[in-house]
Amino acid sequence: MTGNRPLTLVLLEMTLLLLLGPLVTGTIQKLKARLQCRQGAGVLQPYRDLAKLLRKGTVQADTASGLFRSVPVLVLAATAAGAALVPVLRAGPPAVPLGDAVMLLGLLALARFLTAVGALDAGGAFGGMGASREMTVAPLVEPALMLVVFSTAVVAGTTELGALAAHRGTSWFPAWRAADFLGLAAMLVLLPAETGRIPVDNPDTHLELTMLHEGMLLEHSGPGLACMVLASHTRQIVTLGLVSALFFPVGPVDGAGVPGLLLGAGAFAAKLLVLATFLALVESSYAKLRFFRLPQYLGVGFVCALLALGLRIL
Amino acid sequence: MSAETVHTVIDDLGALLLFTMILIVAASQIYRAIYAVAAQSFLIAVAGAVLAASTGNADLWVIAGVTLAVKAVVLPWVLHRVVQRMNVRREVEPVIPVAATLALTVVVVVMSFQLSATLGAVGRAITGNALPVGIALTLLGVLVMATQRTALTQMVGLFASENGIFFTAMAVTQGMPLIIEIGVILDVILAALVMAIMVLRVRSTVDADIADLDELRG
Repeated sequence: MTGNRPLTLVLLEMTLLLLLGPLVTGTIQKLKARLQCRQGAGVLQPYRDLAKLLRKGTVQADTASGLFRSVPVLVLAATAAGAALVPVLRAGPPAVPLGDAVMLLGLLALARFLTAVGALDAGGAFGGMGASREMTVAPLVEPALMLVVFSTAVVAGTTELGALAAHRGTSWFPAWRAADFLGLAAMLVLLPAETGRIPVDNPDTHLELTMLHEGMLLEHSGPGLACMVLASHTRQIVTLGLVSALFFPVGPVDGAGVPGLLLGAGAFAAKLLVLATFLALVESSYAKLRFFRLPQYLGVGFVCALLALGLRIL
Repeated sequence: MSAETVHTVIDDLGALLLFTMILIVAASQIYRAIYAVAAQSFLIAVAGAVLAASTGNADLWVIAGVTLAVKAVVLPWVLHRVVQRMNVRREVEPVIPVAATLALTVVVVVMSFQLSATLGAVGRAITGNALPVGIALTLLGVLVMATQRTALTQMVGLFASENGIFFTAMAVTQGMPLIIEIGVILDVILAALVMAIMVLRVRSTVDADIADLDELRG
């Protein structure tokens, strides 16, 4: 299969996602602050945090093995590799076969697994707790996401994300079929879980027993922590990119040349802003769910995804 | 509107109706269930308006309006008031775990789609997926009634079930006679009022709920 996205474009898109990830987090935090009548930090605050972390030295637990030191790099690498699979500026399959949506979810799962392994390796109580919780949530979220992807892939006949986006083309809500609505509903239910936000996880706490993802980062410090934080920013923007590739047109398919790419970039920014606003609204209007309530919440997403796939097949 | 468009719109509304039904089944708080059933009734009203615009049946406009006013606004408001008056625990405690109910939901929906696929020529005469969605809503409403302990959540199940019947009737017959639809709506209002009063009375005299009536001995 020859595609219309050359390797340079894919690499450009990957770099763009890595660079823009912290900006999305900053935007969500700013929106949240404004919704709660606070001034809030600027949208560039995550970049400042990262820069500060990169200047700091590293402290490591005595019990940690050599693996612990390489975990941040591996996690960031897995997430960045996932970022290469998401179409950003232009829909359509890449010129070189890189991987499909299943590969993307697999890479995100790998990053999650490595994070949990790192947390367990450090031997801290919070890390083990966070890892155990994260690994309880993961098997509830990932199959449901897979089902959403499949419900779209059944029609397009491919799991390649760029081709999926190109198949969806520029169709808007009126052209949607019933299964698309259920799929999007499932995706919106699962989105906070995959990006580690309320009502599943709270990204703002550091010392509470309720935290999932933050608990696993406690033992990391300095540049290692910077890698982990950047990886979670990237994971978030990749998930948002997955939603927009599956459900919203990804810019002009044949838009050759610079104007087409700029149009695609503008469209992508608009989609990110809409999804970021959604996440900020959900974060401001809901409380974090009790951990044992989570299967019930994620069950809604799973059933919706399953029915979306069912409607396609039946 | 062309028949094709109406077909698609009814299909889409059916998907959203199923989504609201899943929300009702999985609702962990009584207010969420009430809001979800209000949203469901609103979608039914929209479906009525779409069918009215496509068939040119003036009765359907009236029915859509009445549905919007009564089922999407007044009845949820009554339920809301009763919850506030009763001062009950707002968390919903079903008889079987919600995960099991959700699994049953999938089974019911798949079964009703399978069932209406076997109808053949009769099935094709009906607009879109209206029949399977209607059957699924009706059965799931009954499921909610069967799995809930409190009378209020059972009322929500009854309304959802009624919505399912209404949706099917509307889509299958392209609009029933106005007098029948009005009668159905009046029935629902009466049922809601009687149940609301009964729940409040039972509550104020014996401080018990429906689940406790199991232990009555004759």
